[in-house]
Amino acid sequence: MKSNKILLMIFSLIFFFFEQTNLLAANEETLDKVMKTMLVVTLVVIAFVLWLAVVYSEKNDSEGKTFKAPLAAFKKYLTRTTPIEKEQEILLHHDYDGIQELDNRIPPWFSILFYGTIIWGAIYLLNYHVFDDGQVQTKEYNLEVHQAALEREFLIKTGAFLNEETVTALSDAAVLSEGKDIFIKNCASCHGQSGEGLVGPNLTDDFWIHGGGVKNIFKTIKYGVPQKGMISWQTQLDPKKMQAAASFILSLYGTNPPNGKQPEGEKWKE
Amino acid sequence: MQVEKFSYDNQVVKQFAIATVLWGAVGMLVGLIIAVQLYLPELNLGIQYLTFGRIRPLHTNAVIFAFVGNMIFGGVYYSLQRVCKARMFSDFLSQFHFWGWQLIIVLAAVTLPLGFTTGKEYAELEFPVDLLIAVVWLSFGANMIGTIIKRREKHMYVAVWFYIATFVTVTILHVVNSIEVPVSFLKSYPVYAGVQDALTQWWYGHNAVAFFLTTPYLGLMYYFLPKAANRPVYSYRLSILHFWALIFIYIWAGPHHLLYTALPDWAQSLGTVFSIMLLAPSWGGMLNGLLTLRGAWDRVRDNPILKFMVVAVTAYGMSTFEGPMLSLKNVNAISHFTDWTIAHAHVGALGWNGMLTFGVLYWLVPKMWDTQLYSKKLANLHFWISTLGIVFYAVPLYWAGITQSLMWKQFTPLGILQYPNFLETVLQIIPMYILRSIGGFLFLCGILLSAYNLIKTARQGSFIKNEEAEAAPYKNEKDQIKRGLIHRWLEKRPVQFALLSTVVVLIGGLVELIPTYLVKSNIPTIASVKPYTPLELQGRDIYIREGCNTCHSQLVRPFRSETERYGEYSKAGEFVYDHPFLWGSKRTGPDLHRVGGKYSNLWHYLHMEDPRQMSPGSIMPPYPWLLTQVLDTTTTQAKISVMRSLGVPYEKGYENFANEDLENQANKIADDLLNNGIPAESNAEIIALIAYLQRLGTDIKGGAK
Ligand code: HEC
Repeated sequence: MKSNKILLMIFSLIFFFFEQTNLLAANEETLDKVMKTMLVVTLVVIAFVLWLAVVYSEKNDSEGKTFKAPLAAFKKYLTRTTPIEKEQEILLHHDYDGIQELDNRIPPWFSILFYGTIIWGAIYLLNYHVFDDGQVQTKEYNLEVHQAALEREFLIKTGAFLNEETVTALSDAAVLSEGKDIFIKNCASCHGQSGEGLVGPNLTDDFWIHGGGVKNIFKTIKYGVPQKGMISWQTQLDPKKMQAAASFILSLYGTNPPNGKQPEGEKWKE
Repeated sequence: MQVEKFSYDNQVVKQFAIATVLWGAVGMLVGLIIAVQLYLPELNLGIQYLTFGRIRPLHTNAVIFAFVGNMIFGGVYYSLQRVCKARMFSDFLSQFHFWGWQLIIVLAAVTLPLGFTTGKEYAELEFPVDLLIAVVWLSFGANMIGTIIKRREKHMYVAVWFYIATFVTVTILHVVNSIEVPVSFLKSYPVYAGVQDALTQWWYGHNAVAFFLTTPYLGLMYYFLPKAANRPVYSYRLSILHFWALIFIYIWAGPHHLLYTALPDWAQSLGTVFSIMLLAPSWGGMLNGLLTLRGAWDRVRDNPILKFMVVAVTAYGMSTFEGPMLSLKNVNAISHFTDWTIAHAHVGALGWNGMLTFGVLYWLVPKMWDTQLYSKKLANLHFWISTLGIVFYAVPLYWAGITQSLMWKQFTPLGILQYPNFLETVLQIIPMYILRSIGGFLFLCGILLSAYNLIKTARQGSFIKNEEAEAAPYKNEKDQIKRGLIHRWLEKRPVQFALLSTVVVLIGGLVELIPTYLVKSNIPTIASVKPYTPLELQGRDIYIREGCNTCHSQLVRPFRSETERYGEYSKAGEFVYDHPFLWGSKRTGPDLHRVGGKYSNLWHYLHMEDPRQMSPGSIMPPYPWLLTQVLDTTTTQAKISVMRSLGVPYEKGYENFANEDLENQANKIADDLLNNGIPAESNAEIIALIAYLQRLGTDIKGGAK
């Protein structure tokens, strides 16, 4: 049995290792929540340990009657179970293949739970479907979307949120390398690892189907060209990222990668 | 007093016990294989019959209906005879039941990998098998009721109440959910569509958990636990209360599988509140189990049988606490479609059903072979391995589910999805998938250990085929209903008891199903929604055959994080021609309801040939055979006719030239592929599948609500 405990400990350690890697993926907000919960749990555990210490340090009261008395009374009140010594009194006079039945009272905590949940259910239904119009989820959704729209408006006003009018091509190395990462992750499967074109067109030549230049490229990335299979990225990449990707694509001009796809579209002049 | 001599039939119990262990091992092995396939898709060896989508239903069916099913029947046959003091009503029916059930299992093991499936979870078997199930199930019921009627014991013990409720309810569930119209020998369409089909399916699915995995096992618990512990049952009163409350409330809770879907709000709310109310009645069973052990806890330490039972009942308590919590809409918003659900299901299936099964078998086999358990040590080892296996299975999946869900919902400060690439959220949890497969492996080792131990036990004993018994005959005394003794009165009347429980379980179902079938406002029509073209319909059936719905949902929930990721949320009116509905219950891959028009035909072609070409690191299996297999168009006519008979508005006579339309549409797609450099045969299955995928969700893309 001991070896089992050791095994368990080892495995919990492994779990913790994996959990760590996951926590890193979480953002600050969730971390914040996790920290708060952990704080509460810790406080509860400390309180419990203190209580235990007090209970068991009571020397003249080896059974801890003084401290445990309220707890014992509460437990008795909640369970109302017939003590095992008196069980004969509630043993029913029948048996099924040797199985007998006691007739213990239904524990009060059970009844509280049972009737409590029923009352809760009634309140829930009344609340949403009688005193309100019952359009629970569309209302929730519209509120969520409305709030997001307000936030977006604000961000556009402050200039934090670029769009196809305001976007500019950037050329510093950090942005280009970010753009490259984004490109490899999202675009390369259709446009090739070096932009040579695959399912999608070649991005390194002079020819553009939907217009060259940072504004057009940004626009194509943002809205996509669904009928041709280019997907819209505006819900997936934030504008800064689309700007980085567009800038990176511009930097591919003239690189002439191997296996370049035939030019498509029109020759672009700035 | 004169006594009658008779004997108990142990033979059929033995058969069912052997089948339990055998199918248990098979079912868990298949489970292990699909668990590994989630990080090593190559494990299907490139064989279409072994892909995830096809054998995942095999795993669930094997574990539920073969492993647990056989244990139910074995346990019922053993305990029912003894608490009724009577041999089974008919040995012929017992044998018919046993062999019939095994035949069904074998048929499932053959048809599911071959791709014959209805696509409805836990009801995947096609209609000829459904019919067989009905016949065999009724033979079980007849045998059981017959035995109860000719019993020598006056009253029915609580275990028997649970058996009766199980029988009547499963009958109703199976019949109602399996109403389907055949297209050919092994293909049918359900009469329900879309939202109605979803509600019917989850009314069934949820109550399969209730009345196949729970009530019969509570019956077994009520017999085998007091037997093994040698203690009286804690409270008779509690049994009555929790039995009736459980069967009444359970039926209502089905819609909690459909929270935040296109199901009307009122039905969702009923699902939520009845799930919460279910907490106490479920715990009543746990209480009566655990408290029966009062005064026997010292024995639990060195008795592996009791250990198994204690963990089983505790796991039952845990999952019946978790279930109601998952039915709260704010929790469900996080848990649904993730691995959390899988973890929850396995705490129930491995913990409650698995552990109780082993407890019962370790008790039963020595009894029937008149000997002692071969090795207590091995049984203890089995106990620890299984417990560890459950922990290893569940904990990583809880973590995976929560992690992934949070990633799906995370926005950057600029209000853009933080993890727009779905695959990224999958790759994040692959380590968890690896750990969980280790858990599954441990549990599988456990069942193999138990097989060895039980065989050895049987070898050292000698089987008692017919166990001699004697009892006084049933004496019919006149009695009246007395206040406070109403239930005692009812316990003597099996027929009235069965009728009453039928009424009790029918109420919830009727209140939810009938308005959804009949009241139009529940499913507002959308004019732009049109029936599928013949090619799309064929493609849809390929989607069902391949079990794409085991990994992909087709239901965008009304959350901003989903509408940003996938597009407009799903409306009830969009599914009116979906026989069956394909909303799915787990998103291992992204939702597909709005995938139509998202990618080019070429993208889909290459993605299906090998997903990793388009999504590096994808865990979706490749489907190269779709590129070469020729679409069977001989079924088109029958499919269109059946769909029309179900209310899909195809014009009269359309079935006669449906294949022309099919070919035209297929040629267009093939041409498009050719223009993009891929010479594809227009009669390949992939073309139909692409047609279907490109259609998905496009009916209302104009923004119509
Ligand atoms: C084992 C689970 C699994 C099965 C089975 C499966 N898929 Fe996938 N699917 C995925 C995953 C994971 C992704 C995301 C990565 C990728 O694009 O490959 C995905 C992505 C997709 C996409 C791209 C969706 C998008 O919006 O990017 C389509 C389309 C698709 N699957 C169709 C199918 C079809 C059709 C089938 C059945 C023939 C199927 N899948 C079976 C797991 C699965």
